[in-house]
Amino acid sequence: MSPDEKQIALSVSGNGNVPNASERAKARAFKFRMWWPYYLMLAPGIVYFLVFHYFPIYQAKLAFQDFRIFGDNVWVGLKYFEALLGSPAFYQVLLNTLIISTMKMVFFFPVPILLALLVNEVRGSSLRRFIQSAIYLPHFLSWVVVAGIFIAALSPSSGVFNEMRGWLGLAPHGFMTDSGAIRWVVVFSSIWQASGWDSLLYFAAIMAIDPQLYDAAEMDGANRWQKIIHVTLPGIAPTIATLFILNVGLFLNAGFDQVFNLANDAVRDQIDIIDTYVYRIGLQSGQFSLATAAGLFKGAIGMLMIVAAHTIAKRLTGKGVW
Amino acid sequence: MSFKHLLAAGTALAAITGLGGAALAQDEPVTITIINHESPRIEEQLARIEAAMAEKGINIDINQIGLPNAGYPDALSLRLLSGEVPDIIYFQGGDAEFAAQGILEDLRPWIAQSTYLKDALWPHNEVRLENYPYLLYVFPARTKSPVIRKDWLEQTGLAAPTSLDEWTEFLRVLSDSDYDGNGTQDTYGIIAPDNTAELDAIFNQSFGISSTWLADGNGEWIHSRVSDGEREKLEYYRMLYADGILDREFITSNWEIKEDKFYTGRVAIVAGTAGSVVDTYRTKMQQVHPDSELALLEPPDGLEAVNIAKEERGFAIHAMSDNKEAAFAFLDFMASPEGLMIDSMGYEGEHYTRDGDTYEVLPEMGLWYPRYWTVNPEYWTPPVDLLSSVAQASLEQGARYFTPDNAFVWPGELAANVDAAEQYYRSSVYRFVSGEWSMDQWDAYVQGWYDNGGQAMTDYARTVLDD
Repeated sequence: MSPDEKQIALSVSGNGNVPNASERAKARAFKFRMWWPYYLMLAPGIVYFLVFHYFPIYQAKLAFQDFRIFGDNVWVGLKYFEALLGSPAFYQVLLNTLIISTMKMVFFFPVPILLALLVNEVRGSSLRRFIQSAIYLPHFLSWVVVAGIFIAALSPSSGVFNEMRGWLGLAPHGFMTDSGAIRWVVVFSSIWQASGWDSLLYFAAIMAIDPQLYDAAEMDGANRWQKIIHVTLPGIAPTIATLFILNVGLFLNAGFDQVFNLANDAVRDQIDIIDTYVYRIGLQSGQFSLATAAGLFKGAIGMLMIVAAHTIAKRLTGKGVW
Repeated sequence: MSFKHLLAAGTALAAITGLGGAALAQDEPVTITIINHESPRIEEQLARIEAAMAEKGINIDINQIGLPNAGYPDALSLRLLSGEVPDIIYFQGGDAEFAAQGILEDLRPWIAQSTYLKDALWPHNEVRLENYPYLLYVFPARTKSPVIRKDWLEQTGLAAPTSLDEWTEFLRVLSDSDYDGNGTQDTYGIIAPDNTAELDAIFNQSFGISSTWLADGNGEWIHSRVSDGEREKLEYYRMLYADGILDREFITSNWEIKEDKFYTGRVAIVAGTAGSVVDTYRTKMQQVHPDSELALLEPPDGLEAVNIAKEERGFAIHAMSDNKEAAFAFLDFMASPEGLMIDSMGYEGEHYTRDGDTYEVLPEMGLWYPRYWTVNPEYWTPPVDLLSSVAQASLEQGARYFTPDNAFVWPGELAANVDAAEQYYRSSVYRFVSGEWSMDQWDAYVQGWYDNGGQAMTDYARTVLDD
């Protein structure tokens, strides 16, 4: 141990004098020398969040200004929020966003957990690898491709799904143009595209469970179902809680790419979400301030929801992310 | 005319007539920057243009920033928001916000003093420039022309339809037949991709929809979308849909699917933009069916009115550019006979051959397209026909039926209302056409349209149109 380190150790243990400013500086420098590779690894992440998440917060002031490409923007207060809330379409857009997000939360969120549990029960390693590869694959397809697949598969005249309905004696149905069905198409296509990949985290959490717990359960006579209920699920409960809270934070991200590619005029009023509205009003109509106001509105609701979800989760499970 | 406009006009005139010419004649070239679509061989093409301009004593260096074709308007908006605005900008929408902020140059004084452009314009260009002087697109009005395979037209045994009743009968015969020979009568008469806009181009006039805003029985302006004519038109589309004449899946068919269905015989009639697009349809159809030709059909009562409020796309000059004179000189040169030859004909030996004054087009010409102007034929015609006869006829059809619309540019404050009304209209149209809604629900639809932004639009329109 170097003299500096001895001095720091004495200071920390309380056996020496209270460190002066110079000693505290030395201690900080020492800690930095100890940890600098980690700080270096952290740097790209910090820069990413600063540039893409914190700097835009400052630019959100555009929602309160008339945007000028050159010169100073003009402060207009809540003008664009009033315009937004005065637009009848925005309430429908907000409602669509909440409905689709809730449907995804209820019907999508459990699927990766179930998938991870099911895959974990597959005993043959080669079969398990095959199943994992098969369910991960759609994650690598863009929404342009996935939407194309669904539009073709659900076609009333030539889609495979309607052919299957025909085998059962059912008449063809235009799911892509049915305002009652389109939200289910959105949810189901999300599940098809992303649940396999999302199950990875849960599968990793299952792998981390101590095998001795399974051995002990088996000694106690537990069958496979009981082991899932009493060992696996409690073992991954913290992961489920954490991901649930993180998902609530992204609650209003109902899926721009997905909706943009699946929408058509027949059903747009059912699945037009805040993100597609912002795109249309902001980029296509050039109303950047109005679009920023809509985006900020979405962010504010998202923040309220994550705080509420966190509070509830902490009261129910005693676990939270802060 | 405001002082600001007078100042701008004066500056432009001074630049063109005096100071500017001297500046461009200098040895050092003036560098201008253009933002436009990505385009194959554009560097080579621009080098040819620079050389040809230099021969005329205009010394400029052209630097093009190419943006991808897919999502071009969005990419352009984001690029311009960075604050780096080039000398010339090709807009494909989204320009009104920039014009409202005074960033785009008023092109009228420049064109008035131009060498070529003032004569090269189409009549609709002149009207549009008066209404919105910031965007220039010297191109025929983008009317939609209905086309069919000529052999199918002959197989119907009917004359090409002219009235609405004849159109209905013609479409019904097509959908009841099996001209593609696949053993089933599964060919639709007509398709319109994404929405009914292409049908409207053909049928609007038949239902009295002669403009965007119509006078009602009390002489008040109402939007055509809540007019009696619109109701009758939707009832007609509804019949086409119910009888299997209109493609049942038109709403989920984009333009690629539309084309595919046309070339493979799953639909008999499509509408394409007059001129170049009709030519493309003909070329692609001949790739699938080498012996086929396309026939142009006449709409029952003329084509829908053409928006003359502004150009929908085109070139603008940055009002604060230091190189406005050079930028306009470039646009003007592209309207000169030399510029048009370079732009329209491609490369000698590759796209055409020349023997004295005799030109011959080579097959590669089908892959060439002009990047800038397609000028008024009364001003300049190429030495050979670059368009097929059906494409040329579609241009003439557009000119013959040209009627100006009374639509105008909406102020930014109404953007949310315009968007809401448009979305409401589009979804309602499908529900009426598909039968999901009964026509008895028309009054409820009209009220819904007014509630969804239509009232604000109508109130504003009456202030504009009554002026």
